[in-house]
Amino acid sequence: MHTASWHSVGMTLDECIKCNVCTTYCPVAAVTDKFPGPKYVGPQAQRFRESGQLKSPDISVDYCSACRVCNEVCPSGVKIAEINARAKAQIVAERGIPLRNWFFGRNEQLGRIGSIAPHLANLGFHNPVSRYLAEKIMGVARHAPIPRWSTQGSFRKWFFSTPRLKSDKKIVYFHGCSTNYYEPCVGKAAVAVLEHLGYEVIVPPQNCCGLPMLNNGEFPAAEKLYRSNLEKLVPYADKGYPIVGTSVSCVLVLREEASEMLDLENAATRSLRAALWDLSEWLRDLLERGELDTNFRELKMVLPYHVSCQARAHRMGRPSLDVMTLIPGLDVREGNAKCCGLAGTYGYKVEKYEIAMKVGEEAFRFVRAQGDDVKFTTSDSEICRWQLEHGTHKDCRAPVEILAAAYGLYDLDKRRLL
Amino acid sequence: MIDLIIIGAGLAGLFAAYTAARAGQRVKIVAKGLGATHWHAGTIDVLGYYPTAAAPVTRPLDALRDLTRAQPPHPYALLDGALNDALENFLALMQELGLPYAGAANAGDNLWLPSPVGAARPTFLAPRAQLAGDLQRAEPMLIVGLQGLRDFYPHLIAENLTKQGHPARAALLPLDLITERRDSNTAQLAAALDEPARRAKLGAALKNIVQPGERIGLPAIVGLEAHRDAFDELQAQVGAPLFEIPTLPPSVPGVRLTNALRNRLRQLGVRIEINADVMGFHAEGDRVVWIESDASGRPLKHRAEKFLLATGGILGGGINSDHTGKVWETVFDLPLVTPPNRGQWFRARFFDPAGHPIFRAGVAVNREFQPIDARGARVFANVWAAGNLLAHSDSILERSLEGVALATACAASRAACHPKP
Repeated sequence: MHTASWHSVGMTLDECIKCNVCTTYCPVAAVTDKFPGPKYVGPQAQRFRESGQLKSPDISVDYCSACRVCNEVCPSGVKIAEINARAKAQIVAERGIPLRNWFFGRNEQLGRIGSIAPHLANLGFHNPVSRYLAEKIMGVARHAPIPRWSTQGSFRKWFFSTPRLKSDKKIVYFHGCSTNYYEPCVGKAAVAVLEHLGYEVIVPPQNCCGLPMLNNGEFPAAEKLYRSNLEKLVPYADKGYPIVGTSVSCVLVLREEASEMLDLENAATRSLRAALWDLSEWLRDLLERGELDTNFRELKMVLPYHVSCQARAHRMGRPSLDVMTLIPGLDVREGNAKCCGLAGTYGYKVEKYEIAMKVGEEAFRFVRAQGDDVKFTTSDSEICRWQLEHGTHKDCRAPVEILAAAYGLYDLDKRRLL
Repeated sequence: MIDLIIIGAGLAGLFAAYTAARAGQRVKIVAKGLGATHWHAGTIDVLGYYPTAAAPVTRPLDALRDLTRAQPPHPYALLDGALNDALENFLALMQELGLPYAGAANAGDNLWLPSPVGAARPTFLAPRAQLAGDLQRAEPMLIVGLQGLRDFYPHLIAENLTKQGHPARAALLPLDLITERRDSNTAQLAAALDEPARRAKLGAALKNIVQPGERIGLPAIVGLEAHRDAFDELQAQVGAPLFEIPTLPPSVPGVRLTNALRNRLRQLGVRIEINADVMGFHAEGDRVVWIESDASGRPLKHRAEKFLLATGGILGGGINSDHTGKVWETVFDLPLVTPPNRGQWFRARFFDPAGHPIFRAGVAVNREFQPIDARGARVFANVWAAGNLLAHSDSILERSLEGVALATACAASRAACHPKP
């Protein structure tokens, strides 16, 4: 059953006082006039999208990157990004979905297929000719930082083929598609840190969180994925196990975005929300309870930290920063850039690639301003990591990789466990 | 470890944070969103109208002496000189931040600046870029707008000013002088004018149409990050006095003011957490121990020794109401001074010179700026309040919004730095 929560997306529409703070801070509207701004395509245009009204010819909402900066700065609590996401879904429901966006929504399947023969897949897709063709035929920007399939095997394969710690203290890990197929090293670092803290890690069956589909307007398909994850994860939540994730955007979808956008609120969604943590958030909670091992090795370096828009959308403060600042010698510098620009699959689209790069310039500039000696940067979202590497030519690591290195478990250069 | 958490990121919250951080306190700001500074004119009103007087206020600091005698609970009456200190600190700070403010040529007088519909509005301090718009000056005005810029109509402004005895004429320039965009708001145009080449084009066009002896009024879009240079260069190029007229939101003078204050706070090590809607708190005895804000998974706790409320009034979100006439303070559910029932919220006439009673609703405080209940007893030992949340002033009617914000922020912040047992 679909039920509107007390603070449902539609209800917040009436809270808009047209102050334009969202338009002032929107990173997309600042660099292109194809997007008139959150207030216009969101609370204002929504008045013309009620059911029974004529189809609106205005599809500029398609240029919303879903970064959620508008929600962040809104002094009235209007859920602008969700209004926009629903408007996109309405357009897809009315007009169908472009083939490219259909593919982007299925990154889990793409990940699985590519990882059967990752060398071949990388060669087949990541060469100039196929990227050129992909741009011309499919509209996939040829220079966009699309990840490479891991040639070390998937995260799950590694996890289930290596001896793992058994313990009374158990924790469930949601790795997400990207960790499984593209960055298994992040999952390995997470498992190493959790086992170092004495936890037995459980990796249950799981599927894509549904974010790529939500962002591309495929709500019915996204709802199937969300319900499937609820079935797979809620039993662990009901046992009282904490569930942690290393991808801030997956955790955000599972905790809040999916249930809000799909107006799906019930005992299962509440149970998952209560059990699910961003890994850094959970580590910070351990710290506050005095249970975090803070015996870190010195990591002597300057580390620019791009706080991804998805991490900020959690409204959970800066847990990765709170934990990383405990590492001796590490000079973590927090950036103020609004968004890296890539925003899920946005910057992969040929008509949006330039916009994404212009939006990202604020983050790239921040990294460059920290000096030429900077070797690594860090960010909570894989999307931001890929975009930062693309825009700055510096390696970007997940905060959990930094922590694993500080516990002496991980080689940051080679991205592998010691 | 945080000494003082300030709730609210409007002018009062930012200035309270500045005052406390400079006094050595470890300060954090927690706010629902970015504050009301984004839609205000960037000017500092102190007192423009005295509710019972027929004429507008000429010298606000003199008029305040009467006001504080006549209305002992008014926030201005609780200050003990903090208004002068606050204004001086503010002027010095803005000078330091490269966004200098000043008052009327005749020191102590109110300025009279044109609004975006050509009304005259009294204010006490204005950013330098607005000063030449003072309607007490004699030069005729050329009001220049841009074709396609919404909500800024130079002909309307000029006609209204002329009718009020301030000679003005109007001109429209093409928008593509400044931008290639087909659609722009004021914040985007201001960012475009950060680029010298675009300013030069605008400057050449202005020079072409200005007549000797005129001053030029523009929408407030002359630069965002590079505002000071942009304004100086443009004025030098045109060779006539320029002034900005604040626009409807996004109001660039308000954005500049916020950015300047936030940058200074960042330098002082003040963390500003926005998108943190405070939903609950925990008190032990008469002390608040923590507040918690809404988050995606579980509420986020914020602990501190002391808490300063600067959440604003009805518009800012510090006070809420429902259709039954219930009015409440949104963070600590503090006792409020309000009209007894909904029937008494408003007077019969919309423009009643005495104002509407509901607009004087708010939190009553003692001379330490600590919230008190109906019997005058302090509610919490470690909570202070400032800004438009305070009862007994109708800041829109009085034109006292920013003066009250700065002065009470300064006073409350000082009291919080040196709490009395």
